[in-house]
This record gives sequence, C-alpha cells and structure tokens, in this order.
Amino acid sequence: MSPRALNSLFLHRPGTLQASLRRIRALAQKELYHILRDFRTLAIVILMPIVQLVMFGYALNLEIQRVDLGVLDYARTPLSRQLISCFEGSRLFRVFSMDGSAEEADRLFRLRRLQAVLVIPPRFGEEVERRGFSTVQLLVDASDPNAGTLIRDYSRRVVAGLASEKTGSQPLLDFRPTILFNPDLKSAYFFVPGIIALVLVMISALLTSITVAREREMGTLEALLATPVRPHEIVVGKVLPYAALALVDAVFVLAVGVLLYRVPLRGDPLLLLLLTAIYLATGLNLGLILSTVARTQQVAMIMAMVTTLLPTLLLSGLIFPIASMPGWLQALSYLVPARYYLLIVRGILLKGSAWAHLVQPSLVLLGMSLLLLAVSARRFRTTLEV
Amino acid sequence: MRAVGFLVRKEFQQIRRDRPVLGIIFVVPLLQLLIFANVLTTETKHVKLAVVDLDRSRLSRALATAFSNTDRFRVVGFTTDVAAIPSEMRAWRVQAALVIPPGFQSKLVRGESPALQCLVDGVDGNTAAVALGYAEGILSQFLTEYARREAANAELPAQPIRLEERMLYNPDLSSRQYMIPGLVVALLTIIPMLLTALSFTREREMGTLEQLLVTPLRKHELLAGKLIPYLILSYAELAVVTTAAIVVFRIHVEGSLVLLAGLGLLYLFTTLGLGLFVSTVTESQQQAMFVAYFLIVFMLLMSGFFIPIPNMPLLLKKLTYLDPMRYFMAIVRDVFQKGSSLPSLLPDVLPMTAFGLAIFSLSVLKFRKQLG
Repeated sequence: MSPRALNSLFLHRPGTLQASLRRIRALAQKELYHILRDFRTLAIVILMPIVQLVMFGYALNLEIQRVDLGVLDYARTPLSRQLISCFEGSRLFRVFSMDGSAEEADRLFRLRRLQAVLVIPPRFGEEVERRGFSTVQLLVDASDPNAGTLIRDYSRRVVAGLASEKTGSQPLLDFRPTILFNPDLKSAYFFVPGIIALVLVMISALLTSITVAREREMGTLEALLATPVRPHEIVVGKVLPYAALALVDAVFVLAVGVLLYRVPLRGDPLLLLLLTAIYLATGLNLGLILSTVARTQQVAMIMAMVTTLLPTLLLSGLIFPIASMPGWLQALSYLVPARYYLLIVRGILLKGSAWAHLVQPSLVLLGMSLLLLAVSARRFRTTLEV
Repeated sequence: MRAVGFLVRKEFQQIRRDRPVLGIIFVVPLLQLLIFANVLTTETKHVKLAVVDLDRSRLSRALATAFSNTDRFRVVGFTTDVAAIPSEMRAWRVQAALVIPPGFQSKLVRGESPALQCLVDGVDGNTAAVALGYAEGILSQFLTEYARREAANAELPAQPIRLEERMLYNPDLSSRQYMIPGLVVALLTIIPMLLTALSFTREREMGTLEQLLVTPLRKHELLAGKLIPYLILSYAELAVVTTAAIVVFRIHVEGSLVLLAGLGLLYLFTTLGLGLFVSTVTESQQQAMFVAYFLIVFMLLMSGFFIPIPNMPLLLKKLTYLDPMRYFMAIVRDVFQKGSSLPSLLPDVLPMTAFGLAIFSLSVLKFRKQLG
C-alpha cells in the first residue's frame, strides 16, 4: 500500500469532536514534556527576551549627550570670548581651546578626539560695523550624519541666540511647541515597546519553527503520521504549549518594560494582553509554516531569524519612520505584523489608546494570524502526505 | 598537506549541496544591503499634520499652504476642534497639529507677535524633534517672505554673526555613507561566526567528528581543513558585499581598498575564532544558534553600529572596549569616509589584532583539548 493510501486510511477516519480534543491534548502534553525536559533551551527562551530588552533598553539611546568642541580663537576679542562662553554655557558642548592650525583639526577628527571645531577668524567682530555681519567657521565631523546635523543645528541656535541678544530685536511670532505623551522626548519610551515587539515575534517564530523540523530530523514525524492524529490537530496541539510559553514571555517582558524602564502604562492592560496574544499567534503560525518548508532545524531557525528579525527591525517603524521610506518599501511594510503591533503597544502604553483607536491595526493583525494559521494547516497536510 | 586539501574539498562539496546555506552567504547579505540602503535615512518626511485654523484669514491660509508645500509635512486634515487632536494622535492619524489662534492675521500685522501653537506627538522623540525643527524653518521662511512682501517698512531682524558650516567627510550628510560600511562589518561578523559554529556542532551532533578523528588526519590538519573553506567563503563575501556597496549603492571610498582587504583578513580570525569557540561550549546546533545569536546581538549593540558609543552610559562605554567588532567598525568607517591610513588607525588595529589572536588561539586550544 502506498503511504498516501495509508494516510487516508488513518487520517480520514471519522471521529467525534471529543476524540479530536483528546488527541490535541495528548499532543500538547507531549510537546510540553519536550519543553520542560530541555532545561537549557527553556532557560534561554525565558531569559533571552528579558536580557535583550534590558540590554537594548539601556543602550538604545540616540540622544547625543556631549560633543567635544575645539575652539581656534584667532581674534581674542571680547565678542569672541562672549561667543565661546555661549558655547560653554550650552548643555551639549564641552569646549576645549586649541592652538595651532586647521590641519590640527583634521588630525584630531581622525583620532576621534573632537567632533567639531569652531574657527574664529582674526578681526572677528570688527567687520560688524563695516559690513553689518561677521563670520565664524564651524568644522563638523559629519561622518555620522545624525550627530553632524545635531551639532550644526545646535550651533546655529547658539549663534542666533547671541545675535538676537546683540540686536535686541523682538520676534515676529511667538512659536510655542507643545509635546504630548512624551514631553521629555525620552528614547526609552519609543524603543522599549519596539524591542518588546521584536523579541516577541522572534521568540515565538523560533519556538515553533524548530518543532516540526526536529520531528522530521529525528524521524518521529513518520511515527506521528502513523497515528490517527489529523494535520490540523497536530498544528493546534503543537502551537498551544508554545503559545502559553510565549504569553508568559510577553508578560515578563512587558513587566520589565514598565517596572525597569518606567515606561508608562496609560491604557487598559487587559486589552494590551489580548492584542499581544493575537500578535504572538502570527509569530507562532509563521514559525510553523517555516518548519514545514525547512528540512533541518538549522535551516528552520535561520529562516525564522531572517523572516522576523530584519523585517521587524527595519520595516515596521521600530527605528525608521515608515513614512520616510521609498514607496516600494512602504508597500512591503504592510506585510510585517510588527507594523500593526507597534501601533497597538505604543498606543496603549504611551498614549492610553482605547479599543476604538486601534480597531484597524487589530483587525489586520487578526486577519494575518488567521491566514497564517490556515496556510500552515494546509501546508502541514501536504508535508505529511508527501 | 594533501589531507587538508581533501578536507577542504569535502567541506566545499557539502556547502555546495546545501542550497540554503549558499543563499544565506551571498543572497541574504545583498538583499540586506538593498533594504538598508533605502531604509536608512536621517530625513523625516511626510509627517502627518493637522491644521487647526481658528483665524480663517488670508495669512493663516498662506501659512497652512507653506506647510503643505513641503514634503516634510503632509497635511491630513483641517479642523477647528483643538480638543480632538489628542484622540486623533491616539489613533495614529495625526502626528502634529498647527494651531493658528483667532486674530492671528491682525496681530501679526500690528506687530503684536501672535502665539502660534504646535502640538507634536512625542512618542517618537527623534521624529518629533526633527519635525519641530522643520516647522521652525518653514515659519522663519514664511516670516521672511511676509516681511519682504507685505511689510516693506518693517525691518527684518539683523544677523550680526553668521555661521559658516563645513560638514567634513560626509558633506551630503548621507546616512548611507555611514551605515553601509557598518553593515559590511556586521555581515562579516555574523555569517562567518554562524557558519563555523554550526559546521563544527553538526559534525559533533552527527558523530562524524569522531569518524574524522580515527582517520590519519592530525588535529591541526582537521582544524585547518574545516576552517579554510569558511575563511575563503567569508573573504569572498567581503569582496562581493564591498563591490556591491561601491558599484550598486555608490558608496564613496576615500581610503585604500588594499588596506581594507588586509585588515578584513585580520578581523576574520576573530570571527572564525568566535565561531569555533561557540561550537566548543555547545552540544547541539540549536544551542549553538542561540549562543551565537546572543553574542552577535551583544557585539552589534556595543560596536557603535547604530547606537553611537559617545551616547552610552559610562559603564556601557567601558564595556564596548571588550567588543572586537567595535575596533573593526571604526576602522572600516574611517577608511571609507575619512580615508585614514594605517598609522592613524593603529589605536584600533592593535587591540583588534590582540583580540583576534587571543580568541583564535584560545578556541583552538579549547577545541584540541576537547578532542582529547
């Protein structure tokens, strides 16, 4: 008898719902034993997301703290000293006076001792009476364009401040920026929810991607095949224990974010947990699909990493705003589950968004999750029959 | 020596047969390069702006037009209800709102400096700060034009001190020029390390390492035979990725490519050594993956690749000196952008070499000891 015929003999045997549930429970139990027995992996699964969040949350600080500014003052006039003290008085700059030439600046840039050099020309200030203005030069190490832009903008503000002090002119407009939800513009508020989204999808996809590949590698998939268990039962039975594990992870990670990084939880925690579960389901189902494609655990894991880590990091809006990307990448970003989850988790934590605000991303996420589940159950049937 | 050659050939055959691995080595990095080159931009565009025009005058409309004419902002709606803005922000429909108060035009004309409020969603602090900067720029341009056109008698604030900026090494302020060389380093770390670690653990898992041991191969021949293929592959990868960066993505190289190639070879001792090290502390490929992944995340984080080291808290700053990637990251960026030569790179080259030698010899010793 061909394997296919054997399959249909077992898999299409009529069964009650109760029997089906029993089989699912047995499978889930078996999978749970697998998880609990492999202590090292379990420890990694629980600890890895937390350690990552702690590391990232601590290190991910894109606010530039201090800029080492060298000053070449060729003028040595009261005005030049006043300008230097304006730079010294700003929060950003640490001022070092230099002597020598502009070539010295290049050497110090190369050694990364200085990030900017202010060159005050001789006779600085004397031209103000004659020409109406005087020029100072700012050399910026712009190899990191972000830092370069910040240094430039900050210096402009310092110089403009001194200039308006000199002229005593009144502004035409009174511009009043008000920053909502994160008035101190803390990086952690933005990145901690982002890292949560990243580690959750990675861990959930990794978890399930290994399961089927392992059974295949060890030859136990064929043993499973000989039992009366149906493909969709295998899918559910395999996902459930990992879903529970991933949810535990999620609670831990969210707790670390709120307790350690003081990220506010302004919305409804239950809503957050519910929508997080949907997000986890997309990751788990994705991992399941990958495991049906990959022949070995190694390939399954690498695929899980490639399909979750990079798209989530680059295309979800975690670091780089989607609206600034070229059109084809924006279109791709609609396929990344984290794109929707980020709106949810940042919304609920930081803005206190309610269900009414998040209907659209939540429904898209739910749809994705169901679609992935359907695909994985289908793929499962075909892999089992081959 | 011939034995080593056979082993190298065996390893290459194994790699050639394993299609996904080849894809991981050559296709994935190029895709990453493509996406990175397009994603990485310091420019903030299309910030969703709501205009709350409570004045409904000619000047208030002109101001709104000034905002909608740039690609920095995308005006998503006009409203007169300020109270609705936070709720719109909660639903992610609006990122910023410009509130033009009643009497804006008349006050401006009388020179009474009307208050102009700008509400910004601060969740993405970086975007918020940049957007506010743009808003100030647009406003000052609007006021200059207004003063020039409509109030010829009103005197513009004079600017007695002018700042002349020179942005060195990256005059276009291009993020690509900064990040793509960094990505080359990241790829040259991740892939050699993963491949080496997995190839050794696989042999161990399958029991074929012991089979190799009973052959007349000596231990150092075995090691060389397994490592050389990955050294060659990683080096090929460096060549492919760098070529793509220069030819396809038009990354400008200021310094010497020969220097880069030489130092790249030196760095590979570190990454291959780390891969070997991972394989000696793990039992299965799965564990090796996890440990390697963890190491990679740590190294990436501490290398200055995307988080500038000067921004870090002091403790982390000190920790970065333990990250061999930190040195190579600085070297590659300096060679690409500043055109630095070996003498000025020595402060990074020396610790990198020391790390490479230490890691490589330690893992070789550990491996040999394990083989008994």
